[in-house]
This record gives sequence, C-alpha cells and structure tokens, in this order.
Amino acid sequence: MPCIVALIVFGIMGIFSASQRALALEALDCVFRRVTFRACNTGFTEKVKGKLLAKVLKRSTFLAKVLNKYYEIFSWIFFILMVGSTIWVLRGVYNFYVFGSCNGLNSTGFCAFDPNGENNKVTPLGDGETCGITQKTEKTVTLKNVDLSSFPVKNVGSKNTVVFIGCYACDYSRKAYPDILKLVEKKNADFIFAHYPAKGDVTNKLADVGYCVNRDYKDKFWDWNSYLFEIDKNYILDPKNLDTMLTKFNFDVKKVEECANSPETKTAVDAQVKELNKTNIYGTPTIFINEKAFVGPKPYRVYRSAINKFIFF
Amino acid sequence: MLNTNKIRSDFKLLSGEKKPVYFDSACMSLKPNTVVEAMNEYYFSYPACAGRSSHKLGDKATKKVKETRELIANFINAKSEKEIIFTRNTTEGINLLANSFSFKNGDVVLITDKEHNSNLVPWLRLRDKLGIVLKKIPSNDDNTFNLEKFSELVKGAKFVSVVHTSNLDGATNPAKEIIELAHKAGALVHLDCAQSIAHQKIDVRKLNVDFLSFSGHKMCGPTGTGVFYGRQRLLEELSPFLVGGDTVLFSTYDSYEMLPVPEKFEAGLQDYAGIIGLGEAVKYLSQFDFEDIRAHEFEINKYVTESLEKFPQIKIIGPKDPTLRSGIVNFYIENTDMHKFAIMLDEMQGIAIRTGQHCVHSWFHAKKIYNSLRVSVYIYNTMDEAKIFVETLTKILKII
Repeated sequence: MPCIVALIVFGIMGIFSASQRALALEALDCVFRRVTFRACNTGFTEKVKGKLLAKVLKRSTFLAKVLNKYYEIFSWIFFILMVGSTIWVLRGVYNFYVFGSCNGLNSTGFCAFDPNGENNKVTPLGDGETCGITQKTEKTVTLKNVDLSSFPVKNVGSKNTVVFIGCYACDYSRKAYPDILKLVEKKNADFIFAHYPAKGDVTNKLADVGYCVNRDYKDKFWDWNSYLFEIDKNYILDPKNLDTMLTKFNFDVKKVEECANSPETKTAVDAQVKELNKTNIYGTPTIFINEKAFVGPKPYRVYRSAINKFIFF
Repeated sequence: MLNTNKIRSDFKLLSGEKKPVYFDSACMSLKPNTVVEAMNEYYFSYPACAGRSSHKLGDKATKKVKETRELIANFINAKSEKEIIFTRNTTEGINLLANSFSFKNGDVVLITDKEHNSNLVPWLRLRDKLGIVLKKIPSNDDNTFNLEKFSELVKGAKFVSVVHTSNLDGATNPAKEIIELAHKAGALVHLDCAQSIAHQKIDVRKLNVDFLSFSGHKMCGPTGTGVFYGRQRLLEELSPFLVGGDTVLFSTYDSYEMLPVPEKFEAGLQDYAGIIGLGEAVKYLSQFDFEDIRAHEFEINKYVTESLEKFPQIKIIGPKDPTLRSGIVNFYIENTDMHKFAIMLDEMQGIAIRTGQHCVHSWFHAKKIYNSLRVSVYIYNTMDEAKIFVETLTKILKII
C-alpha cells in the first residue's frame, strides 16, 4: 500500500521535480512487482518508511514508535484520504467547468479557480415578504407556474429555451447578456427576455419603456434591448437621455412616453414583476436554460454545457 | 598510534562543516586530498598518452605510470614491477585470471563459501563454459576458515582462489597456511585482497602467493583502478583475454607479436589519471604502520561490538571476537529488512553505512538471511563517531 500512495504522490510531485520523478519510477516498479505477486526488490518501501521514521524520531520517540507499529494502517488512512481528496478535487474541477463554481451550481463558497466569486455575483433584490429571514437559493428558483407570455420572445418553437431575467443597469446582468445572446444565436434557442427593475425608479421607467417598445415596435425591440446593455450604464440611468435614445431608433418619443406613463402599462409591468417574483429569484441576472437556473454571470462554457446537456450530476 | 585528527584533515569531506560519519569504507574508502590533486595535476599539466608519445608531456605521463608500478611493487614486495598489471578493479583482475589461465574440462577450482560475487561468478561461468569442477570450502560455524576441510579438498585441486579478508564479516583467512597446503597439493593460489590491502601488510613473497588482486577504491585510491599481481613466470604463461592497442609489439595483416608482461595484459589506453592517483594513495598509506591501523580499527570494532551485544535481537555475522573481524561489524535482526535502519541512521545523524547482501548473495541465500547492516571503519574514523552510531542505533532500536 505505501508504494501505491508513494506512486501517486511522487508522480504528481515528479511533474515539477526530477528527483521526485526518480522516486516515482521506483514506486512504479514496486507497484508493478506487487501487482504481479512479487516482492518489491528496490527497498523502496523501507526507504520511505526509514525517512519518515527518522524525521518523526528526531522529535518524539513515542510518535515514532506508534508510526512504526501502525505504519500499514496509517498508509491505508492516507491512501483513503488521498483518494477522497482526489475525488473532491476532480468534483471541484468538474463543477467549475460546468457551473462556474467549484462547489456546485450558484454556490458562493470559496473556489480556488474563482477566488473572488465573480461567477456568482448578483445584484440582490429587495425582499419585502421574507424580510431576509429565508435565504433563497437556486433550488427554490423555478419557472413553474410562472407566466412568461407577456415578455419579449424570439425563435419561438426551438427545442431549447433560454430565459434571461436581468436588469439594464446592473453590472452582472450586463456582463452575462452578451454571452447569452451569443448562445441563443448559436443554438437558435427560444429566448425570453425579462427586465427586472432592480435599481428603483430609473429601472422602473426602463421597464415601462421596454414594455411599450416591445408592444409597438416588435421588430426593433431586440436591437433596443442590446443597445441598453451595451451603452454606458450611467447614460441610461440618467432620465434626461431617454428621449435621445428613443430618437436614435426612430421611435415616436411622444407615443412611447405616453404609453410608458399610462396606467395600463403600469398595471402590465407590475403584473410582469409579480410573475417574475414567483420564480423566487434573489438577484440578477438569473438565467434559465431549459428551466435550469443559473444565478450570476457564468462563463460562456457554463451556458454552453447546459444547453449541450454536458451536465451529468 | 594513529593521529586521527591529522588524518581527518587530509580528507576534504571530513574537514568541512557538515561532516558525515563515514562507516562504509569496506565498500569505498575516502580519498585523501593528495590523491585528487595528483589526478587533477595529470589532467591540468600533462594529459598525454603514456608509453607511446615521445613528447615531453607523454614522457612525464610514462614516467609517472612507471613510478606507480614500482611503488605498488614495493608496497606488496613484488620481485619486479613487471608483476604488476593495472586493472579497473579486483573483479577485472579475477576475470583476467579466469579467462587467461589454461583451465580445461575437469580441473578442480576451490573457493570459500563466502566469496564476493567477483570471486564466484567468473568461476561459475568457467564451470558452465569449460566444465571445470568448482568446489566450495565450508567455513567453521563462526564463519572462520576451516583448514581441516581445506586440506582434504585441496588434494587433486588445480587452483585455489580465496578471499583474504572477507567483506562479509571482516575475518581474515590464514593465507600463508592455505598457500602452503595448496602448493604441497600442486595447486596454484589466487588471493582476493580487495578488503585486506588497505588494512594489513601484504607481502607477496612472504606469502609465496601465485596471483593476487585488489582494488584502488578501497585503499584511498581512485575508483576504476585496481591491480592484478602474478609471479612473472606464471604471468608469461597466461594468454591474455583482452588484446589490441598497447598489447602488441607489432602486427601485420595476418600476424602479431605480443609485448612482454605486464603490457600484454593492459589493452587499450589506460586510466592514467587513476593510475597516478593510485600511486599517490600507495604513498599516502605507506606513511602508516599497518599494526597501528589494525589497533585503531580493533579499538572501534570492540566498542561497537560490545555495544551491539547488549541487544539480544542483534546477531553479528562472523567470529564473536572483534579482533578477528578487522574494521567490520556486520549484523542483522532475524526476519527484519535492515534497509530502513541505514536510511534512518543517515537521515538522523548523517551516518553512511551499507545495507544489503554486500555482493555475497550466495551466503545470504544459503543462510536464509534477508540482509544485514555493515559498519566498516578505517583510519579516519573516531571513537566519537562510533558513539554517535551506537546512540543513534539505540534510539532506533527503541521504536523498532
């Protein structure tokens, strides 16, 4: 058993050090002999044991005695720990690849590959109902019983469906949107866009305007939508710029303004937000790919894996 | 009495800050600075061919090699420097003998039951190749030489090739008696002096030995150097098994004439730096009285032996009396792989000690002993080092 442990340990260390490589080869020879039911004739096991015992004996006779007596048991323990930690690391790598986090989908725990948690950052939403008592997680985020028929949609009839719930003025939504757009175009997926006004009045206004643009200028809505995600955030947050933006797309400014300020629009947009709240989202962006929720801006490969059904666990 | 402090200052390894406890001289002795310097001088000042180039550099190399041959001849009291053949080591010397002597099918060759592979495998090979009859002389229970058995076996033998001092247990075989008995029986004798040459006075004329070989690396000389001695008349009768450059007087497309001894046995360009270094080693050792060396080794051996005897699980190989074991204490613990002991001694106190079967696999296999730990001391070792060894080993034995 010690030679199997040594083979793995020195094998990994051997990638970086030639001296460890020699030990790895010795361990390999030893393992080969053991699996072919022959004695390990390199003295490798004894060499490793001797080195370990010498180091421990310099510090404590008692510990060295224990290590010598239970060396085989310790070897097994370390072997099991090593196998366990290897599986854990592989799981982390897999999770990072398909979910953008070592700890699993939307998990904000520490991940060595994404130490700042960039892939899970969201713009939090106020939650008047739970007052922060219940921490919402992606497990409760769902599209079940949510009516999305009033939201802008394209590529209807595709086998894949992507739902993007984001906010024009939120950094993380702005980060994720181009990737989602790229995915939708590449896979020709059914794409539903929902603007969630996460940042108060200005974003409420943009929700109202968006509703009207979709209703009255359907063919230009997606260009308008992309424009809002591309242009400087501070520019769209300034209400004075709204008219200029609408003019840029040759929209009838007066008509859009009137529509946006109408009670019917307010009622419709409120109804939309209520529907979105039914999803239990706790931040933007929240993206549903074939109903699986991804909270926060993930790397493009995560979305691609989801749509390609590369997620096995 | 040896001045150990002075001796230690002659060895760079023992003069530094991190000094090892070097207890592996039976495998390889340390080299005094003068040996290394002499070799460097050859490479730096006159790195030429000896015995063939007529320029000044070549002349100097020729002179130095000749001087070394004379030094060695004097060192072992050979009649003439022509009886000294340079080899790479003892193994090569024995192979030269086994392959050059006129052995034939049925010839009986005697060896002991604790020969180094160097003095076993060449004879086994000759048994398989020519059909010689190889017989082993069984040792006494304490691993000492059994003269009685030998006197029975030697009758009818053609050749006796025995170890002088065993690297297994340090026991020295009674060479003079062996040679006398063998000669009486009409057999020639070869002595493997690899282990004895650096520890006791070897006088080939007093011993009246026919052939003898030893290595440079166990007598403070460079690695890859050795000597094969033979009485001149006998050497002239041998037919060299390695021929070519430097072994012939002349050659034509269909004939050649061999050079006389010793050149006819020294084929190809020699390790001149090594030979010159070996000469320096002989000069270095010549300053000591071998009785002082023996006394020094026995003193340390006695202390180590007495210390080890306190542990009932430890079994010392060879005679119980340390004065019969030169500078060697070879021991084992039944059913225990001693390898880790050597590793631990090295890791804990930098004690360099040999573990394994010491190239005497045949003996270990016959006795069913896995391996052993061998302490071998020399002129540069001290009692303090022996104490460090014993203390460290005691610590290890407490946990194993």
